[in-house]
Amino acid sequence: MAENIKGKFLDFIARNFMVEIDEIPLDESLIDEGIIDSFGLIEIASFIESEFGILVKEEQMTRSNFGSVHLIVDFVKGQES
Amino acid sequence: MTTSPERCCKCVLSSSFPTIAFDENGVCSFCRDEMHMPTEAATIERAQERIVELFESERGQAEYDAIMCYSGGKDSTYTLMTAVKKYNLKVLAFTLDNGFTSPAAFENIRRICDELGVDQITFAPSAKFFKPLIKVSALEEVYSPKTLVRISAICNSCISVVNNSALKLALEKEVPFILAGFTLGQIPANGIVYKNNYHFFRESREVYLERLRDSLGHAVDDYFCIKDSLLNKTKAFPYNVNLLCVEDPTEAEMFQVIAQIGWVSPRDVDGCSSNCRLNGFNNFIHQKNFRYSPYELELSHLIRKGKITREEALQKLSDTLQPEVITAIMKELAFSEEEIKAIGR
Repeated sequence: MAENIKGKFLDFIARNFMVEIDEIPLDESLIDEGIIDSFGLIEIASFIESEFGILVKEEQMTRSNFGSVHLIVDFVKGQES
Repeated sequence: MTTSPERCCKCVLSSSFPTIAFDENGVCSFCRDEMHMPTEAATIERAQERIVELFESERGQAEYDAIMCYSGGKDSTYTLMTAVKKYNLKVLAFTLDNGFTSPAAFENIRRICDELGVDQITFAPSAKFFKPLIKVSALEEVYSPKTLVRISAICNSCISVVNNSALKLALEKEVPFILAGFTLGQIPANGIVYKNNYHFFRESREVYLERLRDSLGHAVDDYFCIKDSLLNKTKAFPYNVNLLCVEDPTEAEMFQVIAQIGWVSPRDVDGCSSNCRLNGFNNFIHQKNFRYSPYELELSHLIRKGKITREEALQKLSDTLQPEVITAIMKELAFSEEEIKAIGR
């Protein structure tokens, strides 16, 4: 399931932020790596809501949940279970 | 052997646009993707429902229902009109004067606000800070290039100051909504309405703020950040709402409607702006750096959605500033010939 979430998420990042999938770092911050800006976080939160039906609360938008692709996937998994 | 076309034959994306690929008919991967992707209609419909609910629950609770980031351009004029006439919001129009606002845009602002019965305020940041900000944004790699596919670096700095100033105003007056005139293409469908999460945004902007501080000092914090004294008093952050994305008129419809309330097209701006004399210069710098216009993505989106024709989009892209205007702006901002020549090398 995690691989499916990761695949959908990487596909979303590649399509929306005009990068190749193999350019996307998995364990580093997408912001720190220059892939997205702060508005990109809004897009990611909205994607999580529309794709996985999970409403991201204000207090959940933290670096510990959104600090990397793997952390975001873990967050989605945690919310789904 | 086939060669890559200069632009997609359906939209206006250049061959230099990031990750683009063309098929044998000269159609780009973005147009082909669009044909195979489910529409964004469901996302827009959800956003529309959420906006109506939010407006219903918050209307009339504060001195103003919304701060409108009002540049005087056609998109923000249409948005302001919609907020007032369709959604019955009490709006405070907020204009940032970057020193390059067209005089005709200011006349539009005055006429439209009078016609709609809207209060309006202008904030003009000091040129001693703003002109160096423009120069640093153009010449240094403040922002990651990957985040500049939809916007030039100079516009990004300017809009960041607009957003921060509007947020400051909304927090001071406890206003529940900040409205802007972005279109789909400038922002994606999943960014139409969102709660402003300042603390997380601030943290995520720290990388570029530090680069700006290196060049411009701590005055950067006055224009890009909110003081703790205000944050500590804040009970709730506003929602940012991009109304135009759910209204989705064609450009011709927009021009027709806003002309009826007194909007007149400025003559001293480039084809991609309807208020800012600096925009054409920003595009010129972006084009030198990246070999494509920051407006290509937005215009291509509008073409695919049938909001403008490809010919109209090409006309906008080719309506650039005359060389003598570029030279005058360079002089005003103290760019040397050498600095401009070095861009994109």
